[in-house]
Amino acid sequence: MKETLLKTENLSKSFSNGGTLQHVLKNIDLELYKGDFTVIMGASGAGKSTLLYALSGMDTPTLGRIAFGEEVLSEKSSDALAVFRRKHCGFVFQQIYLIDGMSVMDNVLAAGFLVSRDRKALLQRAKELFLKVDIPEKTWGKFPAQLSGGEAQRVGIVRALINSPEILFADEPTGALNSRTGLDVLDTLTAFHEQGQSVVMVTHDMRSARRGNRILYLKDGSVLGECDLGVYVPGDEKRHEKLKSFLAEMGW
Amino acid sequence: MLMARANFRRAKGQTAAIALLVLLAAFMLNLWLMLATDYKQNFDRYHDKLNGEHVTLVMNDDREEVREFLAKTLGEDDRVTEYCMDDAFFMVGSFVYHQGEVNTELVILEKETALNRPIGTVEIVEDGGPESGVYLPMLYGSDGRIRTGETIALTIGNRTRDYQVCGFLNSVMAGSHNCSMSVVMFTEDRYEELKRERELIPSTLVSVRIRDKGESQEMEADLKEALSARYPEIRTQTNSYELVTSSRYISQMICSGIVSAMAFLVTLIALVVIASNVIHYIQENMKNLGVLKAVGYESGQIMGALLFQFSGVALAAALAGIGLSYGLFPAVNTMMISQTGIPYAVRFLPLPFFLTVFISVGAVSLTVWLSARRIRKLEPIMALREGIRTHSFRKNHVPLERTGLPLSFALALKTTLSGVKQNVTMCITMLVLSLVLVFSGLMVENMIVDMTPFVNMIVGEMADSCISVRAEAEEEFLRRMEADERVEKVYLFHTANAVHVGGIGLMATVTDDFADVNNQDVCIEGRYPRYDNEVAVAVKYAREKGLAIGDEITMAAEGKEAKYLICGYTQISNNLGRDCMFLRSGYERMGSIPNASYYINLAEGVDVDAFQEEVGAWLGDDMNAAINILDVLEGTGRVYVSLMTAIVIAILILSGVVILFVLYLLVRSMLARKKREYGILKALGFTTGQLVLQTALSFMPAVVLSTAAGLLISAQVINPLTALFLHGIGIVKCTFTVPVAFTTAAGAGMCLLAFLLACLPSLKIRKIAPKELLSGE
Repeated sequence: MKETLLKTENLSKSFSNGGTLQHVLKNIDLELYKGDFTVIMGASGAGKSTLLYALSGMDTPTLGRIAFGEEVLSEKSSDALAVFRRKHCGFVFQQIYLIDGMSVMDNVLAAGFLVSRDRKALLQRAKELFLKVDIPEKTWGKFPAQLSGGEAQRVGIVRALINSPEILFADEPTGALNSRTGLDVLDTLTAFHEQGQSVVMVTHDMRSARRGNRILYLKDGSVLGECDLGVYVPGDEKRHEKLKSFLAEMGW
Repeated sequence: MLMARANFRRAKGQTAAIALLVLLAAFMLNLWLMLATDYKQNFDRYHDKLNGEHVTLVMNDDREEVREFLAKTLGEDDRVTEYCMDDAFFMVGSFVYHQGEVNTELVILEKETALNRPIGTVEIVEDGGPESGVYLPMLYGSDGRIRTGETIALTIGNRTRDYQVCGFLNSVMAGSHNCSMSVVMFTEDRYEELKRERELIPSTLVSVRIRDKGESQEMEADLKEALSARYPEIRTQTNSYELVTSSRYISQMICSGIVSAMAFLVTLIALVVIASNVIHYIQENMKNLGVLKAVGYESGQIMGALLFQFSGVALAAALAGIGLSYGLFPAVNTMMISQTGIPYAVRFLPLPFFLTVFISVGAVSLTVWLSARRIRKLEPIMALREGIRTHSFRKNHVPLERTGLPLSFALALKTTLSGVKQNVTMCITMLVLSLVLVFSGLMVENMIVDMTPFVNMIVGEMADSCISVRAEAEEEFLRRMEADERVEKVYLFHTANAVHVGGIGLMATVTDDFADVNNQDVCIEGRYPRYDNEVAVAVKYAREKGLAIGDEITMAAEGKEAKYLICGYTQISNNLGRDCMFLRSGYERMGSIPNASYYINLAEGVDVDAFQEEVGAWLGDDMNAAINILDVLEGTGRVYVSLMTAIVIAILILSGVVILFVLYLLVRSMLARKKREYGILKALGFTTGQLVLQTALSFMPAVVLSTAAGLLISAQVINPLTALFLHGIGIVKCTFTVPVAFTTAAGAGMCLLAFLLACLPSLKIRKIAPKELLSGE
C-alpha cells in the first residue's frame, strides 16, 4: 500500500480570457504517492503545467481541494503556500532560473537558509549534493552565467533538494538543454528517485517520460488515463514499447 | 514618437514621480527667480514713484539757522540734485506689536505735510478708519496684527498716549524699524496736540536725492559729519539708499537664498534620479533596443525618442511647477510684505518663467543625452543577448556560506553591494537632505525654540531694560541703581554716531568696560577695546575696506577727529555690519555722550515695566527713554521666528516628499529589474513580507551611512554656510550650536521614514507570481 503525499478532489482551474471563461483543469481527482516518479504528459494546452502549479502550491485552484497530509493547500494564503513550498517542495525549472547575482553556492544556500539555520549541516548537505550531481568544488564560487546549461540545471537540482523536500517538481527539466546534457539531468533525477525521492515531472518528451514509474496523461483538463511502467531499468525496450502503446492509446 | 508613447504607457508611475520631482524643482526655481529678480526691483519702482530720497536725516532741531546751514551744505555739494526739509517730531517710540513691542526712532509727520512732500512722499495704502489718529507703516498692519480703527498705546519718549489707527502708510526710506527710523503720520489735530504739549523738541526731516545712488553711504556720512561738526549737540538719525535696500530685504534675501539652495538641491536629485532611470531603462530594454537596431533604427532615433519623452515630461512638469509657484506666491508675498513693508502686486514675470523652463528642460535633456550615450555603443547582437549580463563575472558579495547575518539581511546586503547606481542616487539624496535637516535643527535650536543665540548674533547685546538718562542725572541714577536690590548689573551701553574718515558713517557702541557686557561673543577676532585709543570694527566693513587688526584709522564725531588702533573685529547685524566699538574714554576723545543709555540686568521675577515706570517717576524729565528689551525682541524677533518656522516646516515636508519620490523611483526600477529574481525566490518559498523587507533593507546601508556622513559633514559646514546666507546683514561667522540630540533623532527618523517609504512601493512584490516563471504549454 503506497502512502499518499498529495490528494486532489474536484480540482478545477479556470482563466478568464477576454471575457470568456476557459476551463483548463476539470474536476481532477488524483493521488500522488510517496516514492513515485510521476510523469505528467499531454499535448500542448492540456493543462500539464497548470496542474503542476496547483499541486506544488504555486497557484490556487478555482474549485476543489488539494491536500498534503493534514494540510489543505487550497485553503492557504499565498504566504502560507510559500512556507509550504519551502518546507515540502523542490523545483526544477525548464529555464533553470538560477539567480544571476549569486554564486552557485549562494543560489543553493539562499533556499537552504529559508528552512534551516544550522549552517554547518546545510553546508555539508550542499557539498554532498554538489558532488552527487558532479559539480566540482571549483564551480561553487562561479556565477550562473559562467556555467554550461547542464551544469546550471544540475545546480538547479541541488537547490531543489537542499531542504530534503517530500516532493521534487520538475517542469520540462530538459527542455532547454541539448540531448547529451539533458540525459545527464535525467540520470541525476533518476538517481535521486532511486534513493527514495518522490518526483513529479511535466514533460512532452518520451525519452524523459520513460524515467517515471507512473505516467498520467492529460487531455482537455482531465486525466484521460494513467500507466504504470514499474521500476526504471536503463535500456529496457519493453518499457519503452509499453509507454508508446499507452500514449498511442491516449491519442498522442 | 511611437516609442516615446510606448515608454510612457509602460512606466506611468515612474514618469509621474519624475514629473513631480521636476515640478518641485521648477516650483522653487521660479519662486527663487521671482524673489531674486523682481522683488527687490519693486523697491526701486516705489522709490521712483514716491520720488524717494537717497539720504534721510532727521534731527531734533528746527531752527532756521541750522536749516540754512544744511541748505548751504547741500547746495554746494555737486552730488546733490534736490532736497527738501519738513517739520517733524523725532523721538524714540514704541508700541505693542506681535506679542511684544516694536521700538524705533519715530519720525512724526503731519498727514498733509507727509502726503505732499516733493521728495520722499508718503502714500496711504489703507485708509478709512477714524478721522483723528495715526497712520502706521504698513509693515505693522500687513499681516493683520494691527487693524484700522484699533486703538494703540504709542509711547513717545517716556510718555504713552492712546491713538486710534486711521490706516497704514508706505514710506520707502522710513517705513520700517529696519530703516533705522519709522515715519508715523498724525492727523492734523493730533499733531497740533503734540505741538501744544511742548514735551517734544520740534525737529526737521531732511530728504536728499543725489545723482549716483551708489554714493549714498558716503553722502550720508559727509552730511552727518558736517552737521555734527557745526552743531555737535544736535541728535540726529540718518539712513541711506544702500542701507535701506539691504535692511528692508533681509528676509527676502534669506528666504530666496534658502529657496535657491533647495531648488538647486531638488534639481540635482531629480537629475540624478533621471540619469539612473535612463541607465536602468537601457539595461532593462537591452533586448528591445537590440531589436530596434537590428531592424534599422539609428542610435540617434532611439536617443531622440528618450529625449522627446523626458523633455516632454520636464516641460509639462516645469509649466505645472511655475503654475504652482504663482498659486502659492500670494501667501509667500504676504509673508514677505510683513518683513519688507513695501507693497508688491503679484504679476506674471516673463524672465523667471523662461529661465525656469529653459533650465528645467535643458538640464533634463542634457542629463538624458549624457546617460543615453551608451545606446550608441550598443551592437544589435550584443543587445539581443542582453548586453553584459551573460558575460558578467562579478564579485560574490556577502557569501552566504560565510556570513553570520540573517538571510534577509544578507540578501539585502548583496543587493546593496551590487547596486552602485542605486546607492549613488540614495547617497546624494540623503546627503542633501541631511544638510537640510541640520539646517532645520540649527534654526529650531537657535531661533524657534529659544531665540537667544539668534538674537545674540543679530542684536549683539541683551539685557532686561535699557534706560536713557541725561548726562546731569547720570551720577544720581547710577547711585540709586547700585543701591537697588532688584538690579543685578547696570552698565553703560550706548550707541552713538561716528564716521570712519575716508569711509562711511558707523554706528558706535560705547561702554565703560567691555568685560561688563553680557554677550562676550560679539568680538569674533582680536579683542574688545581696553584703551582709549582702540576701536573694534565690524568684520564685514573691515573686510570691505581692507582694514586689518593693528591698523590705525581716523574716526570723527561732532567735527573732531581722532586716531585709533583696530584691536578686534565685531559682528552684529543690527546695523548691517556697519558698527564699531569704543570705550567711553575713547569715544569722548572726539564726541560727547549727552544722553547715556544704560543696560540693566534685573533679578529673576522683577516686572520690567513696573521697574521702568518707577525709575521714570523719580528721574522725571531726566529720563529720555526706557525700553523693555525683551518685549522689543519679542515683537520684532518673533516676525523672523514665524518666517523661519514656516521655512523649516516647508523644507521638512519637501524633504519627506523628495525621499518618497526618489525611493518610489528606485524601488519601482528595482522591481522591474529584479522581477525574475523575485519570482524565483517566491517559487523557492520566500514570502512577500520577506522580499519586501529584503528590498527595503537593501536601501538602508546607503541611507544610514550617507545620513550619518551627511549629518557629520553638515554639522561641520552648517555654520559657515549660514554665515554665507547672512553675509548681507553683516554676519561672517556663525557659532550656532548644532543640536546633537535633535539632529540625531531627526536623522534616525529620516532613516526610518526612508525604510517605511521603501516598503510601500515594495508591496508591489505581492503581485509577482512564481507561476509566471514556469514554461507555458
